[in-house]
Amino acid sequence: MSKLSKEVVDLIKDCASIKIVTTTDENGNPHAAFKGCLTVLEDGNLAFAETLEGSQNNINLVRSLWFDKNVQLTVRGKDGKTFQIKGKPYKYSYTGPLYKKFYLAARKKRGQDSEISGVWVIVPEEVRDETYEARKKIEDELHPFFRHFDRESVLVK
Amino acid sequence: MSKNNGELNLKQVAEKHTDFPQLIIRKIDTALRGVNFTERAVKKAWDLNALYDAAPELETKGAGLVFGGALFRDGTLVQGVESISSLRGRILRKDKAAPYTLDAIDGKLWLLDDKQPVEEIDFVPIPEYYGKKTSRGTPMIKVVRTGPPDCLNVNVYGYCLFWKEKLPCKYCCFQESLLREGLHTQESLDDIYETVSEALKEKGRWTGMRLIAGSDFRGKTPYENDSNEYIRVLKTLQRSFGTKNIYARLVASAVPKEHLERVKEAGAVAYEPHIEVWDKKVFGKICPGKAKFFGWQYWVDNIIDAVKVFGRGNVCSQLVAGAELAQPYGFKSVEKALKSNLEGVEFLAQHGANVSFCVLWVGQGSVFFAEKQTAAPLEYYVRLAKGIRDIRKKYKLAVDFNDYRRCAIHPDTDLARLDYNEVSYEPVGAGEGR
Repeated sequence: MSKLSKEVVDLIKDCASIKIVTTTDENGNPHAAFKGCLTVLEDGNLAFAETLEGSQNNINLVRSLWFDKNVQLTVRGKDGKTFQIKGKPYKYSYTGPLYKKFYLAARKKRGQDSEISGVWVIVPEEVRDETYEARKKIEDELHPFFRHFDRESVLVK
Repeated sequence: MSKNNGELNLKQVAEKHTDFPQLIIRKIDTALRGVNFTERAVKKAWDLNALYDAAPELETKGAGLVFGGALFRDGTLVQGVESISSLRGRILRKDKAAPYTLDAIDGKLWLLDDKQPVEEIDFVPIPEYYGKKTSRGTPMIKVVRTGPPDCLNVNVYGYCLFWKEKLPCKYCCFQESLLREGLHTQESLDDIYETVSEALKEKGRWTGMRLIAGSDFRGKTPYENDSNEYIRVLKTLQRSFGTKNIYARLVASAVPKEHLERVKEAGAVAYEPHIEVWDKKVFGKICPGKAKFFGWQYWVDNIIDAVKVFGRGNVCSQLVAGAELAQPYGFKSVEKALKSNLEGVEFLAQHGANVSFCVLWVGQGSVFFAEKQTAAPLEYYVRLAKGIRDIRKKYKLAVDFNDYRRCAIHPDTDLARLDYNEVSYEPVGAGEGR
């Protein structure tokens, strides 16, 4: 069963959403890249195209797959609804139907001299609602002492 | 699980070398142990358009199946899949080494080790030009073959004079095909032109091309005939691509610099003269043809000269790793063999040339097959791949044209995927190659 709720799936599939993939190199340095093509596959896994074989993102993803490390995807809708998805790179395709679908889409979008290097498939492991209101509610419950006294929910006149 | 004469198995090697990707260890292990397909896997290959029956076109009686290939999750090639080809039963594996099994389970393809699923596998679809014919009726599959998935392979000529001289490389198992002399005619070059032109219509498929041949050392100067034939094919490919440069790699003999310059002028950009065995004495025993025509020093000088023609990182030699340990010809210890190989890799890296390795294949028809030679231990290949990667990083050598996609049989260049941004086309350290 997929870890992704319908709300998350819809947000990912919305072209207007901002989608970011964050990886780390072997020294733990983070690297974030926009992935507008991020989508959800029928089996509930996530997929996006990697444009450049030599990109830091791609190198980090290869390392993560080889050494069982997580990556993070952030999706933010136009209304501010935001989710963070932790997952593991599972597969890198550069041939076959899935690859071809992404390849032809990239061509259509960027023209005849464009290409993709491959398609990454990520297995989602954990989803977190990072929308401001949702995070504030949890924070208030867990850490009530962190609130300023002049906030409406603290100082009730 | 492999039970090889006290050698470390995959699990033990992986535990000992935690900085080495287990998937690449698995890949090496498939090369060593081979992979058998279940009937379900074969059916799945048909369903996924990963098998093609070329028997009618190749005019062979049976054994005409052409397999698109199998990939691990990271896109590296599953090796040892000869059970689904005409090479079935013709590769000598280590004693008692149980082959892997490839099976279809619940709609997915799995590599099984001792009946346990260990890795999910993908099949590669056959190219769209298979099944088509050139204007003179030649099946295109006879003209250009594919493999690995991104790569087109063009045969420049199909013979090797080392076999004719009774001096083949001792691991070479292509005796029957390499004895028939014959050069391309204008008609067969036109077939190449039409086939490559047709193949290039397939969107998003090809990033590599390999030109291959045996060895023909004849001519007014060494290997002049050899280079003449490469030039004829390159000029044909220029017609297909419509460009001067052809992003192909030439797996060729040690062609002198004067001819390499002609080959470059004809559009070549990357060159692979394979030394096969680094140690001079062992080279002479394992590759007697290369030793006679025209010796270890000649082949080494050629590799260094080639960098001056094609540029730093565009030349790559190859070791048939494990051949240097064959008895009674080679090293008696893996430590000495490893030391020799890595010394050779570093020496050539200082001159701007790469060296990669493939796992020794002991195929029927070879001298090694008759002698029942076997490949080296799994850990040997892991250590060699690590060592070559370290040297390549030290000298910042790119090896893109010979990597996991464009050749796919080199564990050391698989590792280059982590180092794509750490390359330089300018000399590094004491290196002379540009």
